[in-house]
Amino acid sequence: MANIDRRDFLKLVGAGSVGAGSGFMLAESIKHPVEYLIPAVIPPEDFSPGIVTWYNSVCGMCSAGCGISVRTREGRAKKIEGNPAHPVNQGRLCALGQAGLQVLYNPDRLTAPARRTHPRDSAALGEANWEQITWEEGLTTVAQRLNELREGGQSDSICLLSEGVRGHLASLFELFIAQLGSDRLLHYDFSHPHSLYAANQRFFGEQVLPYYDVKNTRYLLSFGADYLGSWISPVHHSLGFGHSRQGQSGFRGQFVQIEPRMSISGAAADQWIAAKPGTEGFLALGIAHHIVSSGHYRGADRADWAKSLQNYSTGRVAEQTGVPADTIAQLADAFMGNRPSLAIGGGGAGSHSNGVDTLIAVNALNYLAGNIGKAGGLAFNPIPVAYPTAAILPHARQANYRKMLALAEDARRGKIQVLLLSGTNPVFSLPAAAKFQEALTAIPLVVSLSSFMDETTAMADLILPSHTYLESWGDDFPEPGVGFSTGSVSQPVVSPLYNTRATGDIILALAHKLNLSETMPWPDMKDYLKAGWREIYRRGPGQESFESFWIALVRAGVWGEKTRRESTGFVPDKQVVRNIGVTPPQFSGDSEAYPFILHPYLSIGLHDGRGANLPWMQELPDPLTSVVYGSWVELNPATAERLGFAEGDLVKVESPYGSITVPVYLYRALRPEVIAIPIGQGHSEYGRYAKDRGSNPIQILAPQMDTTGNLAWSATRVRLVATGEKVALVKTGGTSRQLGREIIQTTTSSAAYNAQDSGRIPLREV
Amino acid sequence: MPPEEQSLVYADVNRDVVRSLLVTGPRYYVALYTALGVTVLCFFFPWFYQLFYGIGAAGMNHPNVWGTYLSSFIFWIGLSHSGTLLSCVLHLTNSPWRKAMYRSAEAMTLFSLMVAGVMVFVHVGRPWFLHWALPYPNQMEMWPNFRSPLLFDVMAIATYLTGSIMFIYMGSIPDFAAVRDRTTGWRRHFYVLMSMGWRGTDREWHRLGLAYTFLAVLIIPLAVSVHSIVSWDFAMSIVPALHQTIFAPYFVVGAIYSGTAGIVTVMFLLRKYMDFGQYITTVHFDNLGKLLLALSLMWTYINLIEIFTAWYSGSSAELEALTYKLFGYYGALYWEMILFCALAPLLLISTRFRTSFVPMLILSIAINIGMYTERFLIVATSLSRQYLPDAWGFYVPSAVEVSILLGSLAMFTTLFLLFVKLIPSISIYEVKETLATPSNKTGSDAWQPSH
Amino acid sequence: MDFFERIRDGWDKHRKPAHEDDFDYAWTMAIDLDICTGCGACVTACQAENNLPIVGEEEFARGREIKWIRIERYWEGEFPDAKLSFIPMMCQHCDAAPCETVCPVSATYHNQDGLNTQIYNRCIGTRACAVYCPYEVRYFNYTSHHWEEPLDQQLNPDVTVREKGVMEKCTFCIQRIRQAKDRAKDDGRRRIRDGEVQPACVQSCPAQAMTFGDRKDTQSRVAKMINNPRAYRVLDELNTSPSVIYLKKVDADAP
Repeated sequence: MANIDRRDFLKLVGAGSVGAGSGFMLAESIKHPVEYLIPAVIPPEDFSPGIVTWYNSVCGMCSAGCGISVRTREGRAKKIEGNPAHPVNQGRLCALGQAGLQVLYNPDRLTAPARRTHPRDSAALGEANWEQITWEEGLTTVAQRLNELREGGQSDSICLLSEGVRGHLASLFELFIAQLGSDRLLHYDFSHPHSLYAANQRFFGEQVLPYYDVKNTRYLLSFGADYLGSWISPVHHSLGFGHSRQGQSGFRGQFVQIEPRMSISGAAADQWIAAKPGTEGFLALGIAHHIVSSGHYRGADRADWAKSLQNYSTGRVAEQTGVPADTIAQLADAFMGNRPSLAIGGGGAGSHSNGVDTLIAVNALNYLAGNIGKAGGLAFNPIPVAYPTAAILPHARQANYRKMLALAEDARRGKIQVLLLSGTNPVFSLPAAAKFQEALTAIPLVVSLSSFMDETTAMADLILPSHTYLESWGDDFPEPGVGFSTGSVSQPVVSPLYNTRATGDIILALAHKLNLSETMPWPDMKDYLKAGWREIYRRGPGQESFESFWIALVRAGVWGEKTRRESTGFVPDKQVVRNIGVTPPQFSGDSEAYPFILHPYLSIGLHDGRGANLPWMQELPDPLTSVVYGSWVELNPATAERLGFAEGDLVKVESPYGSITVPVYLYRALRPEVIAIPIGQGHSEYGRYAKDRGSNPIQILAPQMDTTGNLAWSATRVRLVATGEKVALVKTGGTSRQLGREIIQTTTSSAAYNAQDSGRIPLREV
Repeated sequence: MPPEEQSLVYADVNRDVVRSLLVTGPRYYVALYTALGVTVLCFFFPWFYQLFYGIGAAGMNHPNVWGTYLSSFIFWIGLSHSGTLLSCVLHLTNSPWRKAMYRSAEAMTLFSLMVAGVMVFVHVGRPWFLHWALPYPNQMEMWPNFRSPLLFDVMAIATYLTGSIMFIYMGSIPDFAAVRDRTTGWRRHFYVLMSMGWRGTDREWHRLGLAYTFLAVLIIPLAVSVHSIVSWDFAMSIVPALHQTIFAPYFVVGAIYSGTAGIVTVMFLLRKYMDFGQYITTVHFDNLGKLLLALSLMWTYINLIEIFTAWYSGSSAELEALTYKLFGYYGALYWEMILFCALAPLLLISTRFRTSFVPMLILSIAINIGMYTERFLIVATSLSRQYLPDAWGFYVPSAVEVSILLGSLAMFTTLFLLFVKLIPSISIYEVKETLATPSNKTGSDAWQPSH
Repeated sequence: MDFFERIRDGWDKHRKPAHEDDFDYAWTMAIDLDICTGCGACVTACQAENNLPIVGEEEFARGREIKWIRIERYWEGEFPDAKLSFIPMMCQHCDAAPCETVCPVSATYHNQDGLNTQIYNRCIGTRACAVYCPYEVRYFNYTSHHWEEPLDQQLNPDVTVREKGVMEKCTFCIQRIRQAKDRAKDDGRRRIRDGEVQPACVQSCPAQAMTFGDRKDTQSRVAKMINNPRAYRVLDELNTSPSVIYLKKVDADAP
């Protein structure tokens, strides 16, 4: 290198820099492949880059109907919060509600209409190939068939089976099915509290659920209802719980939970009482008996009550329930001594053979304590304004087990020619004993409007996929209500992602193809919605135009009328009082061969299985066990020791109707003769996060019904068979004992400090 | 004078050491290539995989965020302690038995430090930014955080490394010169460079002696502080089982202990494979054995203190961490450690044992296995049992980690094997000081036969 | 005051790495354990707001879940007297944070709002901060995570997505605090009002068990909660000066 002349030098420099330059450019282009910039001079509508837009809407993850506010940026939904103005949740939202974003952006969404190309075979579920079709094709196919049936006088072979819906979509379904000349409109949700409605109908004569004022109560007695976790409106009840506990000046609300397996409501309770499964009604009547016999109750009809309750002395009830007589008396005294009090029931307690009678007994407690119509007790809700003259309220369309069996039977008999499915998954959430999947094979045309390929949709012939709730117009009138008339409007927060359509739009499109445009003139759901709300608007003072009303309504997301129903002065029918009583629970399965009682329960993240395709919910540790990504069976530690099972051992849980294999988890707050399995996993379809994961306890449930035809899903007996295999449960690990380290400190002082200084946000007056 | 050395003369020393550098048999190449191959396969390949995948390739998790990479790092730093420290201490006390072994002991220190340095790169989540831990002028105008024990570590180890390099290099200059005059070709060029023109004049010797002693005095406190500082990586946390004042002496004693055992192993191998039987004798093993015994007793005492303090504290968290260490999943390893480091070394009471080569080798390896176990247990068990029981965890090293540990051993071996063929592994001039001169038939005054 | 009294008086200021007197705001969270139901809404809200990764079953099984706020469960007693309590645990934003002193590159430090912040692009991943944290609330990215499309459409553009090798933890939703400060500045340099900014977890909690605010504002809700006789701090004996206070659970049964 010592001797180099100028020319060579320059050549080297030149080559070097070219080389370096091109090398650099190459590197840069690999790092940043050439992209095209689209100028924002002509931007898409509705967004400015960097500016946040909030849309108010309604959560569609469960039946509570919480209001949501969705934060969007650049046309994408980023975060769901509670709508502060909505009376049900007042700005708060549960985990499942937060996960709604993953419903919208789920990688396994159905993106376009499709037709099955291979024959349906119930054994080969999910193996069908699907070919994409156009909306025109799909709609025409369905409309043609519906028309044929209608013209051929076979209207009653048309069935529309939907998830529980309310508001104007429910009305649209009613209208549509009526126009077709059919009456087969059914809603199906596993978690619908049929027995609660039946009990309330019997005791109160009411078609809508009452308002349970947890917020102002001083003493809550819950018979099996996981009101903080999954019972009818958990966010609203949690709000009330927090307020009752530490938001009231001068007292701290007490909460008692009666259930064979501790739920999060049981964990939050001051007293957790593990009565024998199915005997909650006895306990309620034992408390009632004590209330009446001790002279707490001074109503005019106390003689009738005494007579009806004579067989429910605390001693007898103690035997039936396993709860000591002193405790029963103590509960009764506390229930009467801390008024306004509130008794609620549901969950497992309402799902026994005696479920309806149990919940009637719970209602009786409220009557005896004078809680009806009082703040802190329960109040009757007005009929939602959307259906003032409706002959049938939407929840009356909820099909209980008997009705689903009848539907399956009709299908098998060839009485169903077309089944339209919307958002419900009975193949997953009905017991195998119902043989629903098999019944579907007998229906010549099954059309699914679902957004996901769930087990039931996998049985369909035609898929007309609908928007998710975040892309749809709709409305809701929450059930249970909040004590006064309220409604909320749901609007799309993003443009539709795929070639899907809103459920209401699909129905209306079918209606138009069926020449029903006279009776159903609306071009789309939004139009129908506005027409419906115009009626509601007319109830008001009319000081503004409908348009400004509508805009204000959609902006706020919620509407209300400060009207209440007078609820005091309620007296139950004499016949009802006379018939008060509970029979011992009947279980399916011989107690020798099947020594354990299966207690399935709705899990926090997965609910009835709908949350299983949401990775956030799969990865959310179960609050009580911390297990993720799978199923487990909870055994009382003494039981497990007796049987020789350790955590992780795979056992077969066998009922007389089937078996599933699940790993063992030792759970100490569980009656020894009861085993508990969370509901939600065990999907054979439903996307990559849900498929082939865990087990579905609903499958093995006995087809046992209560007196009104509801599934008694707490009434199945099972046995455990060791498999000899073991798996490692995926959970957060650690030890759940504090070991004296005072991490959670407690105080015995239940005397409250002045709520003024508490710093809590006061709840709005409801 | 020991019988083996009676007949040695200066020329013998020159010849033997130069021969050790120049003469290589196939066994050497097999060893070198195996070591190199294992290093590449077991250290670098898994490490590159980890660079792409993330630290998840190892077995660490929440809350066990530290694993074998850190325990290996501490092990290698520990191993580095004895060489230079011992060399310095024994230099100041003028012990004659130091002469033959100190060069390779110092080399052991140097290479351990280097391997430990590489382990830091493996351990850290984003090693491509590791230079941010150094205080260099930068556009972010950020200093590193001088309050951090990890930064004390960086400073201390950098100083120790620099000091050790200077020390070994300085001490080797006359030897490079000696070898320079007896080799040809590339080696000669190499030794010419390394010896810096040493002519062996009186003045040069005088200055070397001064500088050498000066550095020796400086390095002693440095060595003590380095491992104390490393221990403070743990001890400055407020986590149970780690937050103990005993950690600094514990680690320093453990380091010297582990390092001394390492020296014994190296001495055995040199003796056997480099044909240094005349230079590395039972005297060395005897004295190293006595040192090991003393250190073992100190180490045992410190372990007892650890148990006592945890028990005495009555703290649920401390007791739990201790119980987990002694009787938990890794309980067997704890007792293995006690066996190898507290009980087995009691054999060193016997002079016969101390002067038997193979038993000493086995014991020294056992001690190092035990010492590695000690570091592993500190890392693997204490993080699993902290204050909040719900957050307790469990850690198992992954295949990548085990491979990298093996690889680090191979890397050390490779470096050492290269060392023995490039740098005189026995100090020529110092050994000569112990030999008989024409005027001193019994050799150095300080030399005393040990038996 | 004499010489020694003056030293004692001023000692607290110098002992901690950060002291309230120097803060603009002193963000504090109060959690009422008598109300927390363990429902996990806070966990999911945090995941959505802060782009927390979905680590997947395999990584979760290896213990590498990332949950900036987690619900710890503690049982007492056995059937039929078993009791279960929950405690949400997130970064306590300690004024005397052990993690801040140990990071060799100062990737975590106490900012002028009393928050313990994590600077992702300075972190070199030594993980010493996670070792030093007695609450074990720091989470390391053992690998880079990805979101199956189109789940990544949901990612919050206000929050970094962390790559492998970097430590992360609860930030009290610093992006929301920053936005609130910007709004306050635009409104004419006023202070942030009590309740104006809420981290995602506080906002979502159905039972309203969590309260967030500035304890320098003596009229704020949290300032009052600090004076509640039920207020305490977890692992108080370690003197980390956490900014999260808990209100004791009421156990009527206890003797």
